[in-house]
Amino acid sequence: MTAPSLTVAVDGTTVEVPAGATVLDAARAAGRWVPTLCFDARQAPFGACRACLVGVEGAAAPLPACTTPCRDGMVVDTKDPAGRRVATAVVELVLSELPQPPAPHTELAQVAQRLGVGEPRWPGETHAPQPADTRHPYLAFQHELCISCGRCVRACDELQGTFALTATGRGFHANVAAGLDEGFRASACVSCGACADTCPTDAITEVSLLP
Amino acid sequence: MSRNLVELVRRHHAQAAPSALDVLKDAVEQRGEVTDEDRREAARRSGLPEAAVFGVSTFYDDLLTPRGARHVRVCTGTACFAATGDAHVEQLRTATGLELGERAGDGSVSLAETVCLGFCHSAPAVRVTSDEADVVDAGPDVVARVLADTCVAAEEPAWESTLPEPVLTRPGDWSGLRRVREEGISPEALLEAVTAAEIRGRGGAGFPAGVKWGFARAAAGEQKFIVANGDEGDPGSYIDKYLMERNPALLLEGMALAGYAVGAAHGFVLVRSEYPRSKPALEAAAEAARADGWLGERFDVTIVEGAGSYVVGEETALLACLEGLRGTVSARPPFPAQEGLYGRPTVVNNVETLCNVPFVAARGAEPYHALSPDSETAGSKLVCFNERFVRPGVYEVPFGVSMGRLCEELAGGLRDGRAIKGVQVGGPLGGILPAARLETAFDFDALAAEGCMLGHGGILAFDDATSMRDVARHLLRFGAHESCGKCFPCRIGLRRAHAMFAGEEPVSRERLEQLLETLELGSLCAHGGGMPAPIRSLLRWWPDELGLAA
Repeated sequence: MTAPSLTVAVDGTTVEVPAGATVLDAARAAGRWVPTLCFDARQAPFGACRACLVGVEGAAAPLPACTTPCRDGMVVDTKDPAGRRVATAVVELVLSELPQPPAPHTELAQVAQRLGVGEPRWPGETHAPQPADTRHPYLAFQHELCISCGRCVRACDELQGTFALTATGRGFHANVAAGLDEGFRASACVSCGACADTCPTDAITEVSLLP
Repeated sequence: MSRNLVELVRRHHAQAAPSALDVLKDAVEQRGEVTDEDRREAARRSGLPEAAVFGVSTFYDDLLTPRGARHVRVCTGTACFAATGDAHVEQLRTATGLELGERAGDGSVSLAETVCLGFCHSAPAVRVTSDEADVVDAGPDVVARVLADTCVAAEEPAWESTLPEPVLTRPGDWSGLRRVREEGISPEALLEAVTAAEIRGRGGAGFPAGVKWGFARAAAGEQKFIVANGDEGDPGSYIDKYLMERNPALLLEGMALAGYAVGAAHGFVLVRSEYPRSKPALEAAAEAARADGWLGERFDVTIVEGAGSYVVGEETALLACLEGLRGTVSARPPFPAQEGLYGRPTVVNNVETLCNVPFVAARGAEPYHALSPDSETAGSKLVCFNERFVRPGVYEVPFGVSMGRLCEELAGGLRDGRAIKGVQVGGPLGGILPAARLETAFDFDALAAEGCMLGHGGILAFDDATSMRDVARHLLRFGAHESCGKCFPCRIGLRRAHAMFAGEEPVSRERLEQLLETLELGSLCAHGGGMPAPIRSLLRWWPDELGLAA
């Protein structure tokens, strides 16, 4: 028996997706770009960043593409004006919490550039700069660059099964920590590097021993 | 929420392991703070990874504030703000020389804020905890009594029904479950009656309880749960508090009926730690119900206390808290009815919602519809009023009565010759109705049309001496403090919205409205999505008071 498939129109392109697919899956199948920060295709959708809001015909307000299941006959507009306004505002807010602009190679910088995010409309307190945590030989934390997307925590949980990382704090002070906030080395970390690989900023980076 | 962690917690719970949150709460009770050794102990006993325990220990207010021998918790809820403009907080800070969240160097005393103690009828309120006593005192002279160490337990509010036949203020007597058992009413027939009664959720969203039950009943799986949401965090609301403390048997009966209709053998009540009397009252009622054969083998309950977080009132965060995890919101689907507590199909209903069920089980849907003759909405509603009113208290009323009648006739208008400037209905995520609009009916749709919401049913008056810019600052400070930190618009946006009002700088209306739109459309749950509602009301009715830029 073949799995039932759904027909979804994304920006005028019709795609067939399997039952259980999300709107983001459909958009990507149609070759359309939807901005995301907390999404990693290797992990279960998280729905935190809200940059992926798209228009769905019949819906009163834009919906998050990563956590909205497709329905048969759905009509999706990835450039819905309200959704794009919110996505741009969200990325602008994220940039405003960092003490320095993200490095150009990071996913955050690339999403911001593609959305054309300009000067922050709501400047304010940033995460306090602190020395990089380099107690581990291969993995470094720069907590002030963390945007609480949860990708590192989920990588450690869902991909590696090690549970060495956690979200910490609440509200604006949310961040991540290894073990009892004692750095990677003293935690259950097995040095797989999945967290650094998925980090969309440079909050967790691999320390290269090679020149 | 991580499915792996939830499954890990489920397996340990099945082996009667305590939750990590329970172990951490015990540590605070015993030693006044959480240490790394406590965290390791919590990980060992709960089975949760150490990192996850660390995450929990940095989330809940009760675990974050160190406690001295005398732990003074000052209520910064909206009713206390409306009473004093936060002067009571300043007086305590000045007199103790402590900041909020600080403990004196010698460990003798500590000061913390709490939102809200549910003594809104007698604001401001302060809770003082020591080895000898745990007292909530309230009223105009409370600060003096706290400083003199002469606190007395605050008086309980009025608790009355305006209906000839009360539903919610009638003491629970198990007559609904008795009828179901004696007449052999089937679970399907009970579900049908609850669906026909159109009981709408009383916790804010107004979702039909029967429909929710139907989803959970239809969901695959042997093990299902009923969860009563007793995390009535809305500042200014003390309705569920009084149901849990004065009428606990009614709630337990509603849960047992829900369990019967849905096919669940166990229920949980999550009560707020800000309501220290609720858990003992429910446990005593549960014990009596077991002795009388109403609870036990077929359906039993566990009462769990939270640890200080407003957003835990959101249903996915509530389940995470029950599991002893960080109380953050999860995207839906999956809905709790499909995948809830410990990953099992779960009905999450507000306390008051469940308290409507025994009447429907005993009498049927039709008498329930007749309770509110002037409204399309079925049943009755509890409302409560803050200390600004002449007769604050909890009252059972029909839907459809005008807000003006409730405020002026039932609650007697404001004290000391003051006039109502505006009333916030249904908690911090509800709009504010100006005095000129008090003819609005107290009902779901009528209030929604005014940018307000029925919510929990708290009716909180700001008097004519209140600065509405201060109201904006107060509400947004609360919103930012309570953001769980999961979704970006709420986590950063509420911080920025508060900052716009925190100082004396003029506020750009355009930028504020752009930020409100981001919160409304972008937020994951009703916290970030709802905090703009009262700010929109302020912009609509009192723009000249907000210090907007020219």
